[in-house]
Amino acid sequence: MNELLKKGFEKSIDPVMDVLHEFGGAWIFLGKVIKTFRRTSGYRKAIIQQVAEVSTRTISTVIFAGIFVGAILVLQFDTMLRRFDAEALLGGLNTSATIREVGPLIISFLLAGKVGAYTTAELANMRVTEQIDAIESLGTDPIQYLIIPRFFGVVLSSVVLLAIGLSVSVVGAILVAQSFGGINIYQYIASIPRFAGAWTLFEGLVRSTIFSTIVATVSTFKGYTASGGARGVGKAVTQSAIYINIYIVLGNFISSSLLEWIHDLTYFVIGVFERIFL
Amino acid sequence: MSIRFENVYKSFGPKKILDGVSFEVKKGQVLFILGKSGMGKSVTLKHIIGVLEPDAGKIFVDHFEVSSLFTEAGRELLPKVRQRCGMVFQHPALLDSLSNFENIAFGLRTPQYREKIGKTLTEAEIEATVLEKLRLVHLDPEILPLFPYEVSYGVQKRVSMARTLAPGPDYLLFDEPTTGLDPLSTSSINELISELSRKLKVTSIIVSHDMACALSIADQILFLDQGKVLLMAPPKIVVKSEIPLVKEFFEETLSLLPPNWSLE
Repeated sequence: MNELLKKGFEKSIDPVMDVLHEFGGAWIFLGKVIKTFRRTSGYRKAIIQQVAEVSTRTISTVIFAGIFVGAILVLQFDTMLRRFDAEALLGGLNTSATIREVGPLIISFLLAGKVGAYTTAELANMRVTEQIDAIESLGTDPIQYLIIPRFFGVVLSSVVLLAIGLSVSVVGAILVAQSFGGINIYQYIASIPRFAGAWTLFEGLVRSTIFSTIVATVSTFKGYTASGGARGVGKAVTQSAIYINIYIVLGNFISSSLLEWIHDLTYFVIGVFERIFL
Repeated sequence: MSIRFENVYKSFGPKKILDGVSFEVKKGQVLFILGKSGMGKSVTLKHIIGVLEPDAGKIFVDHFEVSSLFTEAGRELLPKVRQRCGMVFQHPALLDSLSNFENIAFGLRTPQYREKIGKTLTEAEIEATVLEKLRLVHLDPEILPLFPYEVSYGVQKRVSMARTLAPGPDYLLFDEPTTGLDPLSTSSINELISELSRKLKVTSIIVSHDMACALSIADQILFLDQGKVLLMAPPKIVVKSEIPLVKEFFEETLSLLPPNWSLE
């Protein structure tokens, strides 16, 4: 009975251990990428090329999704705010929620599917067909030649795409609010500054950077360490998608808590400063 | 100038791949490594270029101890070792995103190559080297602007050989170079390997299942079985061996050899 319980426990804890194992591996890999980047140079052209490739491949999906992210939120908020005759707050609440939370999260999931899966598949295929070994055998560091341009290409283009996606979702929300909710567009825009200020933009930017780094790290890591032929490529792509989504959710929770703490601390320091000097 | 294995061990999880492997290949020799699949032949080659790290034992390429280069400081020297060894992989392993020309020129553009020759090659010099290596593998320059996926598998293998030859390695390592080829292409690749090894006087290690080719090209033949060296001897001794696996390989090969075949 004890043996059975032990086996059951081990089996149920296996997926957790896998996630932790992969998490550790991804961190070590990230460290290696940053270290290699710091001691080498001459990546500008390769990174710009990657940013251009990733952006052109993904922009249509991001714009399409962006419109609907804003639209969905508007419909939800509108229903709730109408109950309290608070439609005047719709613009601010919707924009704040989109920029701070929902926008970065949903668009990052899309990027994970589109950019992450593509990067993992490309690198995993190179690994199983010995292209990466060939690069190494010719005296070139594959981290330097393959990973760094892709890593920074994904991070930078994801931040840019998230910014575009968020802007589109704000515009999409305005259009839906006016067309379907009958909200006055000027009233909608006027309420935005009440809820969405510099801090909101900062939060959106921090989250976007964190999520982009997660997409870039996990997708390159899983592709680079793939093994086992065509089946291995498939496994790497699936795992990459799963782990990116898990880490984004975890990253979102941690970043939300940290940002809230930083927000409170900042206002506390400002308060103290004002009391002392003003 | 030699490649030397001293008591090398390597396992992947619970599976022992190399179990105390020791051998030496001297300058200018052609060594064939034969054995059944999964006996550690390709793993042996990957240890030489430092793609894999041994669990125990020492590997020397000239005066470099490759097995000690997996430390932070040692990694700086690994490209120097790799520069000396040219490896032709089981698959052509050409970079899909580069044309055949760029694939062959790849090794000529690395910082390690610049350091080796003490200058940066001009585009004209790179082109001349690429064309020279292309002639060595009997290919026409028309394939140069094409991408690897636009040419046949046999041509890809030859392009891969030209890429390996381009930086002028001291050692040539072939990992089952005829895998996936039809009999005609197999024999032409075998002839090419023989020609390259003799013409360029490069020390070569060839991992293969092809005993017939080994008997006609090799100076030494090494049999690997269950991760251990079963026999390492010149072809004349190999054909007389009473070791069951060696006999089995030779008997299988006899039917493929011409009736008037002799080791002389």
